[in-house]
Amino acid sequence: MTLSDLFERRLLVVVGKGGVGKTTISCALALEAARHGKRVLLCEVDGVARAAQLLGIPAVEIGEVKEARPNVFLMAVEGKAALAEYLQLIIPVRRLLSTVFNSRIYQYFVAAAPGLKELMTIGKIWYEVERTNEDTGQRLWDLVIMDAPATGHSLQYLRMPAAARDAFGSGLVHREAQRVVDLLTDSQRTLVNLVTTAEEMPVNETVSMYAQLSGELKMPTGFLFLNRVHQTSFANGDLKALDAAAAKARNGREKTALSEVAARARLETSWTELNRRNRQRLRAEVEMPMIDIPYLFTEEFGLGEVKQIAHLMGEAGAATARKRERA
Amino acid sequence: MKSIEDIVAGHRVVICAGSGGVGKTTTAAALALHGAQSGRRTIVLTIDPAKRLADALGVKNIGNQECEVKIGKRGSLAAMMLDQKGAWDRLVERYAPSADARARILNNRFYQHLSQSFAGSQEYMAVQQLAELHGGGRYDLIVVDTPPTRHALDFLEAPQRLSDFLSRDVIRWFLKPYFSAGWSTLRLVNRTVGVLFRKLEEATGVSALVEVSDFFNSMSTLFDGFEERVKRVYQLLRSSETAFLIVASPDEQVLTEAEYFCRQVKDLGVKLRGVVFNRVQSESEIEGEPFDEGWLAGVVGKAIDSPERRTALVQNFLRYETQARGDDVRIEAFRQQLPRGTAIAVVPNFEEDLHDLEGLRRMLPHLLAA
Repeated sequence: MTLSDLFERRLLVVVGKGGVGKTTISCALALEAARHGKRVLLCEVDGVARAAQLLGIPAVEIGEVKEARPNVFLMAVEGKAALAEYLQLIIPVRRLLSTVFNSRIYQYFVAAAPGLKELMTIGKIWYEVERTNEDTGQRLWDLVIMDAPATGHSLQYLRMPAAARDAFGSGLVHREAQRVVDLLTDSQRTLVNLVTTAEEMPVNETVSMYAQLSGELKMPTGFLFLNRVHQTSFANGDLKALDAAAAKARNGREKTALSEVAARARLETSWTELNRRNRQRLRAEVEMPMIDIPYLFTEEFGLGEVKQIAHLMGEAGAATARKRERA
Repeated sequence: MKSIEDIVAGHRVVICAGSGGVGKTTTAAALALHGAQSGRRTIVLTIDPAKRLADALGVKNIGNQECEVKIGKRGSLAAMMLDQKGAWDRLVERYAPSADARARILNNRFYQHLSQSFAGSQEYMAVQQLAELHGGGRYDLIVVDTPPTRHALDFLEAPQRLSDFLSRDVIRWFLKPYFSAGWSTLRLVNRTVGVLFRKLEEATGVSALVEVSDFFNSMSTLFDGFEERVKRVYQLLRSSETAFLIVASPDEQVLTEAEYFCRQVKDLGVKLRGVVFNRVQSESEIEGEPFDEGWLAGVVGKAIDSPERRTALVQNFLRYETQARGDDVRIEAFRQQLPRGTAIAVVPNFEEDLHDLEGLRRMLPHLLAA
């Protein structure tokens, strides 16, 4: 599989544990897809509007679509708003609608009803994937990228359509849920991508998510993005030499400098080793092509860094492809 | 200025909130270890510890058992791991008034398909467990790790939402006879609601509506007193015995989320007592004039002959220095908008994951320092 294969799909879902950089990877994927000539919609789900900042634009209101970069459109999706939009489609009587929306029971029910928010969110994304231009009949987006939120159960959003289909044995909800399930399980249209860092807990969760995706959910998987990988090791001899020099140094300033250079070299070496071990575990337990994204040391993480990651992604994706061809 | 140590000393319940992946579990365990070492009977309620930490704390993923942790001569530390899976099933098993009611709920198709994603059941279980431990009076200090959620606030809001969902008003609405009888009866009663129900029936199928109604019917018996329990827990969370701490990393996204939490806690009637920053890269302490790369290369050159290896070492140092400057700016900006008197701890980026008692002890001095 190559990145170009990824971009031939209609929907890319990006999942992972909280704090591993899912939104960053989603933004970089969107930029790279646009570079491949695609018109991309990036959907940030129940987010804190981080994507807008990473793409260098002011926050996007819920439901609003903004072109953040050339051919990269950003949309904030939220379950409650998606439900309201959906209800407007199926109940065209305005007076009735406002009675519903204003009732306390509706408010309570929407806030807490099991899985309703998730179902509506993924339904909205399905709608965008299928959406066509009213005049030309052409598809509005070549590619939709879903930056899925991290929750206790990261796959809750992907699980809901099948649960709703089975819970409602017939009727409109059953039929619509089936259509969403069809999209999510069709490897020609959809690929689910995982993001993780090479540390113990994120790797545990990634292994378990992979098992669920390929097992009960039967969803086609794309790439595994290994984010923030430390890649430098320093020889023990050099570290000892630095220690010895620090111990001998008369000048206090030089002493501090030498010991701090040694300390940071040790830090980097340890993290590199820790990442390497966890990477091996992933290799053994997750059968997905992997793309390493190195740790970026920066003062501020913004559009520049996202572009850098998109570039690295493109190169790594091409390298993976070359390796496969040779093999 | 109070330290995190003062905050822990002054409260019976300490809650560690924050978004996932920032070291919440480790922080909670370290604070509990400290409480135990200072002679208080302490328990840590943990959610999803790394395997080595779970081993170190001796907790097993079976039910919610209190496990004694050996920490040396002094102090008593217990740990309990909240089993996340099947939280809802356990609620049902625990509060169902009869075996018959229990079976009716567990066999309800609507329940079976949707119980996995019931909003708030984990959070509810966590606060419920906290209330029980607190009421039991066997502990002087209870440290709580919160479930991993997108929003730290979910821990506070979810039990209330759950309570709203199962509130008498909502349940009564679903229990009205016309709900299960179908929309035709209803049309006679109220035209507007009749249209709505016809839509609902088209959308969900008649049998589904009957099952939904039956589900609420069963639930209504189960959750007698549910609102009362949530109310009691809420009082505990807002009482002067309880301290909220935010655990964060100096990551932009994490801090944005933490800022949001700080703004919102006030509205929820909870006071934020302290903030713990984990994995912070601090700037080097090379005193005097700002140093330059050339000078540093010269100094390192006294120990390392190879120019390539020397450059690699210097570059690595400078990369970490860049990171440290960013961390510093972000933490400082965050600090600015905290209410006065909020305790702050800065824990450095260690060269390993801290997953055992030794690691917790390593973390403690930084966590407790003023």
